[in-house]
Amino acid sequence: MSQRLAPLSVGYRAMETAARLGWILIFVTFGSSQVLEAWQTGLLVVGGLLAAGLYQVVYWQRFEYELTADTFDIRSGVFSRRTREIPLRRVQNVDLQRNVVQRALGLTEVRLETAGGSDTEAQLRFVTETEAEQLRAEISRLKRGAAETPAGEPATEPEAELLFAVTPRELFVLGIVSVDLRLLSLVTVVLPILVPSVGAGMGPVQDPLVAFALSAPMAAAVIIVVAALISGLYSVTNYWGFELRRAEDELRYDRGLFQRFSGTIPLAKVQALSLTENALARRLGYASLSVETAGYGPGDASGSQSAVPIAERDRVVSLARSVEPFGPVEFERPPKRARLRYVVRYTVVALFVVAAAYAANRFTGFTFAWYVAFALLPLAPVGAHLKWRNLGYALLEDHFVARGGFWSRETRIVPYYRVQTVIESATVFQRRRDLATLVVDTAGSGGLTGSDARALDIDADRAAELRDVVEERLQRALDDARAERRRRRLVELQRTETGGFGGDVSPTDD
Amino acid sequence: MDVGDLVGPERRLDPKVRYVWVLQAAISSLIFGVMVGLPAFLVFERPFVGPAVFFLVFTVGATLAVFRYRRWSYQVREDSLFLDRGVVTQTRTVVPYVRIQHVDASRGPVERAFGLATAVVYTAGSRGADVSIPGLTPERADDLQDRLKRLAIAAEGEDAV
Repeated sequence: MSQRLAPLSVGYRAMETAARLGWILIFVTFGSSQVLEAWQTGLLVVGGLLAAGLYQVVYWQRFEYELTADTFDIRSGVFSRRTREIPLRRVQNVDLQRNVVQRALGLTEVRLETAGGSDTEAQLRFVTETEAEQLRAEISRLKRGAAETPAGEPATEPEAELLFAVTPRELFVLGIVSVDLRLLSLVTVVLPILVPSVGAGMGPVQDPLVAFALSAPMAAAVIIVVAALISGLYSVTNYWGFELRRAEDELRYDRGLFQRFSGTIPLAKVQALSLTENALARRLGYASLSVETAGYGPGDASGSQSAVPIAERDRVVSLARSVEPFGPVEFERPPKRARLRYVVRYTVVALFVVAAAYAANRFTGFTFAWYVAFALLPLAPVGAHLKWRNLGYALLEDHFVARGGFWSRETRIVPYYRVQTVIESATVFQRRRDLATLVVDTAGSGGLTGSDARALDIDADRAAELRDVVEERLQRALDDARAERRRRRLVELQRTETGGFGGDVSPTDD
Repeated sequence: MDVGDLVGPERRLDPKVRYVWVLQAAISSLIFGVMVGLPAFLVFERPFVGPAVFFLVFTVGATLAVFRYRRWSYQVREDSLFLDRGVVTQTRTVVPYVRIQHVDASRGPVERAFGLATAVVYTAGSRGADVSIPGLTPERADDLQDRLKRLAIAAEGEDAV
């Protein structure tokens, strides 16, 4: 039986559209020279509201969804109609989301993700909270194989075991650790606006350059503090009350203070794990874990990053092991000649900075102690060593592990079974030193961030060897999985022959 | 049909692909030359800048095209497709058949002029469309597409993602 969205969603979405229209109206009235009469504005507002409301009513009327035994169907569209059927076996994640207003109204947004395509395949805006929970439980149950629970009976929820709950202390650490310096890029935007006014506020300093030199560091400091506070607070509210549960073959998470997120990650669809520790977290002994499915990867902007935000390193590692049972990791480092590459590279960068500083000093009116930039030169070998020290890879029984990054060290664990392609590459500079890079690609690793498992600058012969080994082990893992599937099918076949339960399901239905 | 009939030794590209690449290099260096040369001519009145840039970029592009052809090879192996290519960055890619989602045969305008085609192999990986084999005669591209399709089906890959 097909279902409709919650009736209240009509009002919510209409208000959303109205708010958006309101913004446009504000820009139009303040942006244009000819000011609208009051009654004209009123007409626009009323007309806009009516149109938005009408559209949303039709949208609601036309939007139907249905959960069948093996698909999730949506019929939708006001102007162009669309029918979509998503096989439940292909569903990667189910996510529920509600912000403050939606929570007050008892509305929830449901999203189903499948592999491939960056868009969410099914988006229900919005259903009631109970309906959302039911949908999720039902989809999980159907995915597990409805055969095991006779139809008609209420779905018995498997016991969900609490794996992890964030403590206030961890939240505090998270707030400190996740101070995102990327927000500093805002400085470049804000500074030109702020500086003149700050300079003006300082009294009778006539020379704009002097005013700039005085106010810029102050403004920068203020902005850094504000940015740090905002990014820290953002993480804290985002992961407030984080809980991770394991229910049979899926993980469930709940998090968020203002905007509540909850979702499921099917363990059978896990592509890779990634363990991230930035320099600060490392110092404090903390780490975070992302579980990557083909639906989306870690660091996804959609806000559905599904993992352990922060916990003591040992705990994170044991959690990771409960998802993917990998053995003890002993990293192999790239050869020392790789380090020399970084020394050269960083020195060249440092020299460029020195040259730029000198040029700025020489050819612009802005004079300063340009030779301070020389201090970067001795830093180059230090940086090179740190980069090299944090690199590493390991070939485990069933997993390939690669680690890299100094500021934010990332360890990626890829089961051989999930390998998509293996790429060995060597640039001209790498070949000079007999080095190569091995990339083990999986489905769903975020293409933009380029966070594949990669063994950077390892010995060229070793890279060629690894390429063969990884492929070999993938084939072996596939063979094992095939044998296991056959065995299971046989068992099932025998069960149906002896008249056990599930007799109504064809055993070859795969 | 046996798997043994589908796999093959290391193959090279059709020599004509060099002309395709050289022509492509000519087109892109022409665009580049005009982009640099026109302002140089109009603003600084240096008419020779444009041709010089064109010639320089074209020489580099054409040289790379020749070397790229020499380096390119692919092999349809028993379990995977293997590509070896690249001049500045040498790359060797292994694509297991289980991971192949679909295979395209595509022909761009320049390729069509020379009677060539490209086979593009898609996987679910983040670098899926990266795997393409240029410089094939249309028959070879069709044949390769067909062989890879058969091998992918035979590989019996459930749950690729």
